[in-house]
Amino acid sequence: MSFKKKIIRALVVPMIAGSGVFTFSGNALANDSAELEELRALVQELDQKVKVLARKGEVNEEAAAAAKKDTPVVKASEKGFGLESADGKNVIKLRGLLQADYRSFQQGANDVRGRSNGRAGSLDGDGFHDANDTGLLRRVRPTIEGTVQGKYDYRFTPDFGNGNSVVVDAYIDARLDPAFKIRAGKYKPFVGLERLQGGGDIKFLERSYVTNAILPNRDLGVSVYGDILGDKLNYAFGVNNGVVDGGNISSGSEFEGNKEFTARLFATPFKDETNALAGLGFGIAGTVTNIDGEKNLNWTDSSAADATRNGLPSYVTNGQQTFFRYGGGIVADGDRTRIAPQANWYYGPFGLITEYARVSQDVSKAVGGSPAAGGAIVTPEGVLENTKRKLKHDAWQIAGSYLITGEDASFKGVKPKNDFDLEKGGWGAWELVARYSEINLDEDTFKNASGVNSGEFGATGTAATAAGLAYSDLSRSAKSAKSWTAGVNWYLNQNAKIQLNYEHTSFDGGDLAEGLAQATNANASGSNVRDRESEEALLARLQVAF
Amino acid sequence: MKKSLLTIALMAAALSITAPISALAKDITLLNVSYDPTRELYQDFNAAFSKHWQEKTGDKVTIKASHGGSGKQARAIIDGLDADVATLALAYDVDQLYEKGRLIPKDWQKRLAHNSSPYTSTIVLLVRKGNPKGIKDWDDLVKPGVSVITPNPKTSGGARWNYLAAWAFAQKKYGGDEAKTKEFVGKLLKNVPVLDTGARGSTTTFVERGIGDVLLAWENEAFLAQKELGVGKFEIVVPSLSILAEPPVTVVDKFAKKHGTEAVAKAYLDYLYTEEGQEIAAKNYYRPTLESVAKKYESQFPKVNLIKIDEEFGGWQKAQKIHFSDGGTFDQVYQK
Repeated sequence: MSFKKKIIRALVVPMIAGSGVFTFSGNALANDSAELEELRALVQELDQKVKVLARKGEVNEEAAAAAKKDTPVVKASEKGFGLESADGKNVIKLRGLLQADYRSFQQGANDVRGRSNGRAGSLDGDGFHDANDTGLLRRVRPTIEGTVQGKYDYRFTPDFGNGNSVVVDAYIDARLDPAFKIRAGKYKPFVGLERLQGGGDIKFLERSYVTNAILPNRDLGVSVYGDILGDKLNYAFGVNNGVVDGGNISSGSEFEGNKEFTARLFATPFKDETNALAGLGFGIAGTVTNIDGEKNLNWTDSSAADATRNGLPSYVTNGQQTFFRYGGGIVADGDRTRIAPQANWYYGPFGLITEYARVSQDVSKAVGGSPAAGGAIVTPEGVLENTKRKLKHDAWQIAGSYLITGEDASFKGVKPKNDFDLEKGGWGAWELVARYSEINLDEDTFKNASGVNSGEFGATGTAATAAGLAYSDLSRSAKSAKSWTAGVNWYLNQNAKIQLNYEHTSFDGGDLAEGLAQATNANASGSNVRDRESEEALLARLQVAF
Repeated sequence: MKKSLLTIALMAAALSITAPISALAKDITLLNVSYDPTRELYQDFNAAFSKHWQEKTGDKVTIKASHGGSGKQARAIIDGLDADVATLALAYDVDQLYEKGRLIPKDWQKRLAHNSSPYTSTIVLLVRKGNPKGIKDWDDLVKPGVSVITPNPKTSGGARWNYLAAWAFAQKKYGGDEAKTKEFVGKLLKNVPVLDTGARGSTTTFVERGIGDVLLAWENEAFLAQKELGVGKFEIVVPSLSILAEPPVTVVDKFAKKHGTEAVAKAYLDYLYTEEGQEIAAKNYYRPTLESVAKKYESQFPKVNLIKIDEEFGGWQKAQKIHFSDGGTFDQVYQK
């Protein structure tokens, strides 16, 4: 029975019945009839009102559904906070990475040699200063990233960590096709495998020598990249300003105009399979350029800042202590090529990454000293004749990880099966990690720059002549560093992580033989050199990333 | 789905072999973005054109259709809905494709006959069987207790025709007194309980939901409601004065060019003017412009005293500005 009929029956029938019992007069019937008409009209009016209300509800729902198609969506999740257009084509996200570190050195030295006690504080007998225990903010990186027009991504990441204020990433990605994308701006060049892993996803507090010492960190330029062969082969080619080993280029224009070309192929041929090889990836990358460092600097080998202009790097340990730098007046002077075979494998909770890098760098001994400061340029090229040498340094690493709480390992972060929660009893994800990494510098680095065939190392007492200096001084810089690292990662949840690494690094060379004064032996012979004190450090990190 | 290089190479080889064959027949897709009550018309017309085009060229044409309030549809095209052709309710909405998006040339209306309107219509009053409220003309709609169903002129082209027809009637009734005209239209709108976004929505409100005493409707929509949606339940009342509605059509040049469908899109619209196209329009209760077909269906359409938008309101641009832009007469007289 319809609503209308029910109402009529409920209202009208009792009235009719009532009227039948108590009155039979014609007037009364006429009155009842008029009343019935009024009631009928009232019911119809009410019926219309109810229908109008219902229809308005429908229309409003339709309007709301239509408006939803145009209403931007606010998103907040463990992956960041963002705003997205209704069609998903325009997105802006706010993300962040904060790493608070503490470094505790049981043994080790920092690099302040050549400075006076007055400048560097108390030096030991070898001219070293003990490595300082310190707390620091390693990375403080707010990130704004997103997409416009559905296929053009952007990312802007400054870094306020390490006492710096720099632009780490600022680039645009044009995803024209899965097989053809273009990235332009300041970004990680497509070279090193471990470098391409996010700073919040790395398994150790510091990356290996392969990544931190030899392969480029950030560069300015443009790269074409994409996934082909069913996403099983990733390729990338780039043209960049070029950056020293491990370097993070400034966002300004460069000193040297030659461009560095990069190329990388990385295959994951079994990715669609379900067997143990599904998580296997391997590839090879390389860079090539020609670079000339600035040759009329007023040299000092006590400042790493020189590396930004002489075109050469310095190398640091896992504890971020410098153990190698080129000697004063040494400049990049020609070809620089790098090659880096690389692989990783993830199978269940187990992860493995291994990488090798070799850099070949032409260097020369510049005359040094700005003309204003009395330096003289004796050749048109600004370098001493017969001092050019191609130095080849290499590094490698192998690192394993194992999630003892059973989560799947991956190149990206870990999502715990159970977040750490004392009330609910979850303990997050726990991961054990271990790595061996070493770097070996070319023996010729420490030979005399002139008369290069004169011996294994520079002869004693040649410091008096500029031509007698080697490319680096073995009594100040080590020719190799070998590091063991073991650690544990505790993922409290997808966003918070605590890391603890113990690392031990031993050196070959890098210190002057006991009893000899540094100031009088600028270029030590092999007999005057001993190994730099090993570095033992406990490194801890609390990280929040979203 | 991504293709492997081998697959791509094989496809390229296959294409090179089959190219002469595929060059003979193409699969073409057109998108016709139209207004609300044309669903049935274009359902019939699209099938006829596809058949005609395949017979003529061998190419298979699939026509997709999108329907909604005319104003909304125009905005959707401007915002990027890739229409090959637009068949909207009024010229102002098509003008917007030029004004706001430069998607068509300024003189688009001159490209086809009858100001690019292959068929016309008008506005009539659809009442319930027996016409219980005794509605005979526009002034019956402003009486207390008469519930009038019409869509929102801000979103619906049909509603704008309705509004202007009522306005024209009141102008004539009050000898051009604008204040009285506004009062008349205001009273009429006060009797509207629900403003749908499109003409088809209003038909649903009146026919299916049983709301209201009278529906201001496109003539074709009224016929459809009377003959197909609710046989014997409704009656058409032809008012003493109404408006000649000229729904225009155009190729959306920018998108058609992008899709490579310019020629087919033009042929699609040209076909509307052919005898077969006009027959389909007439069968769907649109007034044909082709004289021979108009004569054939003469008895189907009642004689109406029709005013024209250009003569009465100075064209759609002016009418839109005065009546439907923000702060226009509709905003002035309509109280929610």
